[in-house]
Amino acid sequence: MSEVRVLIVDDSSVMRKIVERSLRQAGLDSLLAYEASNGADALETLKSKPVDLILTDINMPSMDGLEFLRQLRSQDLAPGVPVVMITTEASLDRAKQALAAGAQYFIPKPFSIEQIRARVLPLLKTA
Amino acid sequence: MECTTSQSLRETHPALCDPKNLDASVEEVCSMMLGVSCKRIPDAPIADAHREQGMVTAVIGLGGVVSGTCVFRCSARAAMRLVACMAGTVFTEVDEMVEDGIGEICNMVAGSWRNRVPELAAHCGLSVPAVVSGNGYNLHLQALEFQLQCAYGFEDVRFTVAIACGGLPQLKPHTK
Repeated sequence: MSEVRVLIVDDSSVMRKIVERSLRQAGLDSLLAYEASNGADALETLKSKPVDLILTDINMPSMDGLEFLRQLRSQDLAPGVPVVMITTEASLDRAKQALAAGAQYFIPKPFSIEQIRARVLPLLKTA
Repeated sequence: MECTTSQSLRETHPALCDPKNLDASVEEVCSMMLGVSCKRIPDAPIADAHREQGMVTAVIGLGGVVSGTCVFRCSARAAMRLVACMAGTVFTEVDEMVEDGIGEICNMVAGSWRNRVPELAAHCGLSVPAVVSGNGYNLHLQALEFQLQCAYGFEDVRFTVAIACGGLPQLKPHTK
């Protein structure tokens, strides 16, 4: 697989590192990771950096993950790029909101490498 | 372990009062995100033995059908070990990354616990974490209707997790 460009959106710098490490452990050896600490930063990043995959938290200051997803779609930034939400907000209502806003998958924290491998990697093969 | 609940609350909301849900949440987070096997330490003193080295406390607010807090507390030394396990990096001081990591651990424990309590899973939100570190501070939580506090550990790392909630009269009893 050629280099995969991933945008990781989480207000926790530690969690951004863990998500990146998990992607590598799941089998994405060739990975270029961009980071953003909230939805607004992520939108700015996407204006100049095309990506193949977006992984985002929901609970973040400034702009949360659901609003980020709505803005992403309404501004037509990153069209066709799969979005996976990784969050502690794992209620059914939240999952429905995330999927309605255009997320492909909803992975609850804490997560396993197996979940990343099973849910995230197939999105890259079909994107 | 300390658990402060009324008999009626234990009958109407058994999942809320069951410390096994908190145990499972802590064990899940430690296993999946830190790669360590962590267990509750029965009858451990809640006061931390390493207070003189500084403490790190993360607080997550619970809102919605209940109002309350989830508090994660450990020594500075334990905080550095915990975040080192999570991030794969060695720390020699409690810097922003350690504080950030402890906040995220508290967030995941709170979320996991909330999701195990049927009365709360769909209607209880979590705040972003607030983290306090250093010496010479006391954490005061308003007296609430329900408190659950447990000590956990692995190797020589010790920490406590406390859940305190109010607003329980509005909480509908869980029915299977």
